[in-house]
Parts: sequence; C-alpha cells; structure tokens
Amino acid sequence: MVAKPDLQSSGQSVVIERVVKVPRALAFEVWTSPRHLARWWGPRDEQGRDFSMASCEMDFRPGGSWRICIRSPGGDDYWQGGQYREITPPDRLVFTFAWERAEEDFPLTLVEVDFLQEGPDATRVRFRQSGLPPSERDGHAIGWAECLDRLAEFLVADQAPEARS
Amino acid sequence: MLDDPLSLTFAALADPTRRALLALLSQGEATVNELAAPFDMRLPSISKHLKVLERAGLVEQSRHSQWRPRRLQAAPLAQAAGWLEHYRPFWEDSFDRMANYLDELNVTEKEKSHGRKA
Repeated sequence: MVAKPDLQSSGQSVVIERVVKVPRALAFEVWTSPRHLARWWGPRDEQGRDFSMASCEMDFRPGGSWRICIRSPGGDDYWQGGQYREITPPDRLVFTFAWERAEEDFPLTLVEVDFLQEGPDATRVRFRQSGLPPSERDGHAIGWAECLDRLAEFLVADQAPEARS
Repeated sequence: MLDDPLSLTFAALADPTRRALLALLSQGEATVNELAAPFDMRLPSISKHLKVLERAGLVEQSRHSQWRPRRLQAAPLAQAAGWLEHYRPFWEDSFDRMANYLDELNVTEKEKSHGRKA
C-alpha cells in the first residue's frame, strides 16, 4: 500500500490528518448525529460509488453505545459499533470501534479525534485509530501506540530492507 | 478468541513494562539480567513479563537456557500493524466525503446569513 503524503503512521496505529475549511464547532458537529453521519461515514467502492448508511443508532454521551450498518452499492451490509469514551466539544472525541461479523471476532480498536484550530475558519482534524487488547473491552482504555515509536522504526526497517539499500 | 494471535499481541502490548522490554530488545539481543537492569523490579517479575511476550511470539529465547539472550520477533507486530491498516481506506474515503459535506454545509450557512442581500 502506498502512503499518501498527508499521512503518517507509527506502524502501530492509523493516523490521518485533514484540514477542513469550517470552524471547529461545525467540524465536531458532523460526528454527533445520524443525520450528519449518513452524509459522509463510510467508504466508496472500486467505481467510486458511496456506501450508504442502512442503519445508525447512537447514544451520544460518554459510556453510550453506537451501532451503524453501512451498505455497499451492491447491497452488502456491514455492521460496526462501539462505545463513546470521551466527548469534549469542540476539542476531542474518543470512541471504541469494532466490526461485527458472525464468523470471526474482530479486535476492538480505539478512535481518537482531535479538532485543532487552524486559522480563523479552518480546523485540523487529527484522527488516530489504534488496537485495544481484549481485556479493555469494558474498561477504561489508553491507546498503547504512543510508547512504540522506537519499536515502529525497528519494524519499518525490518520490513523494508530493500527500500533502504 | 482470547488465544488468537492478534489478541495475544494486543494483550502483550497492553502493559508498559512489556512495551519497555520490547523497546530495549529492538536495540538488540539481551539477557534477562540485562533486561532487568533498568527496572526497579525483581528478576522473577521480569521473567513473567518475558513469558507473556514469548507466548505472543514477540520475543524469542535463543535455545532453552537462562543465560541465552532474548531476541525481538517482529512478525506479530507487523501483523498487528497490517491488520490496522485495513481500516485506512475506510477512513480516507470517509474523510473525503466529510470534506465535501462540510463544503455543502458551509455554503448553506453562508446563503442563510447573506441570502437576503441578493
């Protein structure tokens, strides 16, 4: 997979940063209700067609659950869900995220979104998704990714010896 | 499900001492004594942490003797990282769509506040 220039990854988490041309309050608001999420949440298929949102339930408060079903243009449904951990408008949003599938149990992940002021009418959205161990499924979570920078460097070096020489 | 390799990796990585041990091992092989030196911890505790890392396949003991150095195994970490990377396209697309949607919202807001002038 080729990394785009605006992306960085520690190797242990997915990090995405985007600057959007709206104030922080609005950048935060589109994460807070099904009406907004239905307009942007979800991927596109190979032909660039948006997935739709077949179902969205969210109890938007710390400790509240969320559950979403996205539907591919071909009609396949994919369920996902989690729990809100931290809601601090317009600064920060933290929630857990896992795919639901009958045949295999997907590990739980932690999504942290920070909204940073970027000039008068723009916001830098800093997104990070990292893995959570099974023991954290109901508890309080701290992403383990932060402490692994040196390890990640080692990992990258180990994975791509041909790229270095 | 707790024994699947990915869960073992995540569980092993959940502890700060074990992350520190991995960071030390990323600089090269080390014996248990060498690994224990920076910690205010007894050898048995360090050995216990190493056992968890070994069970997750993150650390390998070269031969089965105590004085043999431990070695970092990167494969499970690569697997954990690779698994997370599956999420990237989902969010890349979502953020693209979000940017479009925010543009739309922005235009609507502006029309609302300036609409009367035209």
